[in-house]
Amino acid sequence: MQTVLGIAIDGVAYGMILFIISVGLSVTLGLMRVVNLAHGAFAMVGGYLASFAAQSLGLPFEAAAAGAILLTVALALPLERLLYHRIYGSANELAQVLLTIGLTFVVVAGINYLFGPTLKRIPLPDYMEGVVNLGPKAIPTHRAFVIAVGIAAIAGLWWLLERTDFGVKLRAAVDDPAMAAALGIRTERLYAATFALGVGLAALGGILGAELLPLEPYYAIRYIVLFLAVVAVGGAGSVFGSAGAALALGIIDTAGKYLIPDFGEFFFYAAMILILFRWPNGFFQRRPA
Amino acid sequence: MTGHLRAILLGAAVGVAMATGPAWAATVKVGVIGPFSGPFATAGQTFKQAVEVYQAMHGDSAGGNKIEFVYKDLDQANPAQSKALAQELIVKEKVQYLAGFFFTPDALAVAPLMDEAKVPCVIFNAATSAITEKSPLYVRTSFTLWQATVPLAQHVYKTGVRKVVTAVSDYGPGIDGEAAFKTTFEKAGGQVVDSIRMPLKSTDFAPFMQRIRDSGAEAIYAFLPAGPTTLAFTKAFADNGLKDKIKFFGPGDITQEPDLPALGDAAVGITTAFHYSRAHDSDLNRTFVAKHKEKFGNADTVTFTSVGAYDGTHLIYRMVEATGGKPDGAKAVEAVKGLSWESPRGPLTLDPDSRTVVQNIYLRVTERVNGALQNTEKETFAAQPDYGYKLGK
Amino acid sequence: MNPHLRDAAGAALLAAAGLAAFWLFPEDLGLLTRIAATALYVLSLDLVLGYCGVATLGQAALFGTGAYAAGIAAVHLVAEPMVLLAVGGVAGGLMALATGALILHAHGLTLLMLTIAVTQIAHEVANKARWITGGSDGLSGIAPDPVLGLFRFDLYGRTSYLFALAVLVVGLLVAQRIVRSPFGLACRGVREDALRVAALGGSPRRTLIGMYTISGVFAGVAGALTAVSTGIVGLDSLSFSWSAEALVMLVLGGAGRLYGAIIGTLAFMAIHHILAATDPFHWMLFIGLFLMGVVLFAPGGISAAIERAAGRLRRAGARA
Repeated sequence: MQTVLGIAIDGVAYGMILFIISVGLSVTLGLMRVVNLAHGAFAMVGGYLASFAAQSLGLPFEAAAAGAILLTVALALPLERLLYHRIYGSANELAQVLLTIGLTFVVVAGINYLFGPTLKRIPLPDYMEGVVNLGPKAIPTHRAFVIAVGIAAIAGLWWLLERTDFGVKLRAAVDDPAMAAALGIRTERLYAATFALGVGLAALGGILGAELLPLEPYYAIRYIVLFLAVVAVGGAGSVFGSAGAALALGIIDTAGKYLIPDFGEFFFYAAMILILFRWPNGFFQRRPA
Repeated sequence: MTGHLRAILLGAAVGVAMATGPAWAATVKVGVIGPFSGPFATAGQTFKQAVEVYQAMHGDSAGGNKIEFVYKDLDQANPAQSKALAQELIVKEKVQYLAGFFFTPDALAVAPLMDEAKVPCVIFNAATSAITEKSPLYVRTSFTLWQATVPLAQHVYKTGVRKVVTAVSDYGPGIDGEAAFKTTFEKAGGQVVDSIRMPLKSTDFAPFMQRIRDSGAEAIYAFLPAGPTTLAFTKAFADNGLKDKIKFFGPGDITQEPDLPALGDAAVGITTAFHYSRAHDSDLNRTFVAKHKEKFGNADTVTFTSVGAYDGTHLIYRMVEATGGKPDGAKAVEAVKGLSWESPRGPLTLDPDSRTVVQNIYLRVTERVNGALQNTEKETFAAQPDYGYKLGK
Repeated sequence: MNPHLRDAAGAALLAAAGLAAFWLFPEDLGLLTRIAATALYVLSLDLVLGYCGVATLGQAALFGTGAYAAGIAAVHLVAEPMVLLAVGGVAGGLMALATGALILHAHGLTLLMLTIAVTQIAHEVANKARWITGGSDGLSGIAPDPVLGLFRFDLYGRTSYLFALAVLVVGLLVAQRIVRSPFGLACRGVREDALRVAALGGSPRRTLIGMYTISGVFAGVAGALTAVSTGIVGLDSLSFSWSAEALVMLVLGGAGRLYGAIIGTLAFMAIHHILAATDPFHWMLFIGLFLMGVVLFAPGGISAAIERAAGRLRRAGARA
């Protein structure tokens, strides 16, 4: 029983990290219909900037993280105007895939040039160090913190999309851009704002997840499949879907690695295939991505 | 004899000497394949630096032949690409020797080329025993998992531990390490309660930590390839509260010097068995480290891959001397079999049978000395051979 | 010009260029062999992507299955190169048929993820079955018999290259025939408007599975060719990045034209060889920018650019 609890908690923690990074991709893909394979690159940039700020500039964790997120968003917004803008729309899927792969390669090369090939760490603040004892099971405090942030993110996003003006307008603009524009909704600003939100979440995920998904130049390429899997399984555009998918995949992966470590790699992908068979559009999505 | 005749004889003698002497001062090329980019770039860097330090200390020729090193990048375990690079080195660059190889699969892949072109290969790092069985032209100046693990397992038993769990990366050297530990420890009377093989790509070790905890073992033997994965594993071990409950043993890959600063206090107390520590107390080692500092500004990267490359270069020089700079793979390897010399790590002899160096394996504990972390040698197991060579054959 | 004549001219041009390369670059035959085999692989992707409009990141699963099948056969059963190619082709085709039947009902991101998952699982199976595949050490010891009993495979790659070139030329001719056939036209119909095809009584899904299987045969042969000419099969032949590279090469060259696959492969691998030797990240930067440039400014890739230029020349010529 202790073991089951242990696996569950570890799985949830891993899932939450995946969720925080991936939910931004779900937002851009589902709400803006852009297959943004460069999402991992934004997460990576956020992580690297935070690491640089904390280690080389000596800033405290909170300031470094906040600064990194803002800077990443600031760097990404012009890209939205210049590049992404040209390839919106689901007819352009292949173009989106290739453009964003190209962008990812450029970012990977750039990060390697600026920061070198070795792993970068983000020094954690004291309150995140150490171990938290949840009865018989001890998990690193950092992971408990991530779970808390994940829950806050789910709640926050839901409130933003369902209960605010911004959310209503965004959902309208996605459902029918022409009509929304005719009604006076400024779709271009909305897209920019949504993109910023997606990138900001990616950066946050990259920073918080750095303990688990270590920061090195190939990060953007190495983990993009994980993030895509969460979005595909959860259903693009659905926050709850992403959360559910991330948790499900996280728990299955952790349980699999515990029970049969030799075959650890199978579980994640087998789970993905099985779920996508039953729900081809993801857990919570009614229409295809 | 008239002066005239003497002059002619002298001229003839000089002429003959010039015609048969070292007129073949052609450059001998050595092709080094290693990771110069990507996550293991530090290891490749140590190869290159160690070669350059050897050249600084012993010149860049042997027996009148200049030796030139050509470097090719292979950033991960990719046997097909390794073979392609080796083919290019042999056919296009016309190298007489291959060298380097961080990962086992990369080293194994070039065996057919070596045999066809009769080019010897000096392994600077790859640590699976079976490699040298694949071709008589392999020589290895690094170590093998069996070599380091057998004395370690015996030591672990002597400390009173009876139940051990092994956790290794699921590839050649990892499986070797697991087999070596299990065989030796169980022969001594202990019990390996669980053997965990972790996928090479793993980044999240939480489920494995859970399994380690559940195994009820008193100690763990762990092996992962030196670099990012080892770092993550050791950190996870400490982060999951296992450090005070289970004693941590392994080959020295897990506490290689470049990783120690990042590991910090999580590394203190780990006991490892290995062939080289930067803190080794010998004059030659001190010179070795100092030369690195002099040439490259600091000696932070000096670790076991450095001595692997340094001693590999030593063998290459001896082979070039023995063949007079001419390509003769079999003669070169014959000439260095049984060779003994002093290395920054201690005394070495190239075993004529397994063609891996016989060397001291040291028991070390990671501790803080003068504020910096180091692997302090506590005990020496002298002249350990490659126990894994031709097992069961 | 008669399209069949044009196809033959294209294949002849390829053969001529290939032979010229043989004379011009005698020390780079290893690289040229890999380019030829990879061109066949990218050609296989063009069949599904360019002619059926199916976006897949799982072509490596088909290539790798062929490569391992041929490799395992070579080590244990038979070493005749032609037979090994056939083994690879059959294995690739069966893999495509099996997985295609299971996943080709899906579209878009879902299909993409399913193809990735299939590749990852194939990769893991090959990794775990190390007793037969060699696992991460790779499958070595592939020693093919001389081609036609005469031409030995050696270190210098002369036989390997000419063999690979011949297979590529034949592959191109066969592919040309297929895309011009009624079946090929049906595939293009499905790419343009699947609904209409169904309304006309056709079965889009069955057509797709058919072409996917054919593409699997081509990819399997390419895999077997690589195994035979390099003598080794590694896990990278079943990797996601190998699938992605095929896609990039195809797009650079231009999809839907067959010869675009060959041009794209040549351009990509040649540039990779030159740039990666200095610093792999320079190559990544270059390829990333090139890819972005192609998508934004030259959609349709190099071959489309060539066609546009040729069109302009023709018009200029007509006016003169």
